[in-house]
Amino acid sequence: MSKFDSKRITEIHQHLHTHLPSDSALRVKSLESLLIEKGLVNVETIDAWVELYSEVIGPKRGAEIVALAWTDPEFKQRLLKNASSAIDELGFLGTATGHLQVVENTPLVHNLVVCTLCSCYPFSILGIAPAWYKTAAYRSRAVRNPRSVLVEFDVEIDDSIEIRVWDSTAELRYLVLPQQPEGAKSMDLKLLSSLVTRNSMIGTDRFLKINTSRKS
Amino acid sequence: MDGIHDLGGKEGFGPIEVDEEHVAFRFIWEGREWALSRCARAPHISIDWWRHCRELIQAEDYLNRPYFDSWTQTDLSTYINADILSIEEIKTGKAAISSTKSLPVPVKLSLEYLRKNHRENAVKFDNPERRESSIRIDQSVLTNLNGHSGHTRLPQYARGRHGLIHKYHGAHIFPDLSAKGIKTYQNLYSVVFEAAELWPEAKGRRDRIYLDLWESYLTEVNL
Repeated sequence: MSKFDSKRITEIHQHLHTHLPSDSALRVKSLESLLIEKGLVNVETIDAWVELYSEVIGPKRGAEIVALAWTDPEFKQRLLKNASSAIDELGFLGTATGHLQVVENTPLVHNLVVCTLCSCYPFSILGIAPAWYKTAAYRSRAVRNPRSVLVEFDVEIDDSIEIRVWDSTAELRYLVLPQQPEGAKSMDLKLLSSLVTRNSMIGTDRFLKINTSRKS
Repeated sequence: MDGIHDLGGKEGFGPIEVDEEHVAFRFIWEGREWALSRCARAPHISIDWWRHCRELIQAEDYLNRPYFDSWTQTDLSTYINADILSIEEIKTGKAAISSTKSLPVPVKLSLEYLRKNHRENAVKFDNPERRESSIRIDQSVLTNLNGHSGHTRLPQYARGRHGLIHKYHGAHIFPDLSAKGIKTYQNLYSVVFEAAELWPEAKGRRDRIYLDLWESYLTEVNL
């Protein structure tokens, strides 16, 4: 029997629907403890992966990339030409960034990233995707009415600005390069990267602010 | 497949919950699932077969259960399918099947090791020896009107529509066959669509939608 049988998987899902506990934590616990008992995973390695994506890898990496692109025109050119190789210079290449593309905002263009078919995301530079990115509400509407999506994120985009929506349908992953705010020309890299919000690198933020506290 | 996962353009899901705590994992179990998915997988699995198994989750569960919960269910389905776990084991929480000898023994990796070697997780899906585009940039293309019952990455909202070739990405693993265990490469293009070509209400709107599409999803047309 083929191991790639949709009908068989559908039947398995029906069984799981009936027999799995409702609580997600119990479901994961069940998977983890069975895999440990069968010697298929190592618990210390699991702990290390959790820590890696809780403490080490997150949107600060993306913000560093953006700040460097703002201040180093040659790096920016390399980033726009081959983003995977450019982020490798910074040690940020990793999960889901083997085919990274950077799309640049300009006064006349705003970019927005979505994955309508699953929830593809450039993990090694932005960390775990925000919950909203994975919702049906965002995935369904980002391609159909991106302007209404942006309004919900308090981003008002003039009709004269073109919105480009990037639906991650293949293994390419997208990072938005936001515009450097006016008045942030003489800042150092560290200060510049602190202005870059996670949402601005997905495209649900556009107007980066100086000297205000940010929530996302 | 024309499943519930194919959400682009579907309506009625209401507002987006934009305010959320800025943490990687909202619950401990989300981190455990993320880490489990990094540490182990069923043998002979491809990302495309895994995605297809996720698409096959019943619609009510797909839409209503938490995101990482669907990863757990997908993982479970692939392990059961590969005879590594059984429904009975999941019900009782006790391991019974012991025929897992052919699988690699897991190694203990430290945080420092994972950090230093993270670039090894950057998987390439293209064939570097095949870099010959067969459709030129700015060529008009028409996407296939129909999908098929297996895994595919041409969303319903972009079927039977006209677009322009924006960029050539090289030859990438073709997901429709990869999800059946067959590894082939096919030219992949970034294709740009005017919003009004996709959505009736978007007439006059200055927006464009870009999708990465394989050559067999496309037919060249002269408009």
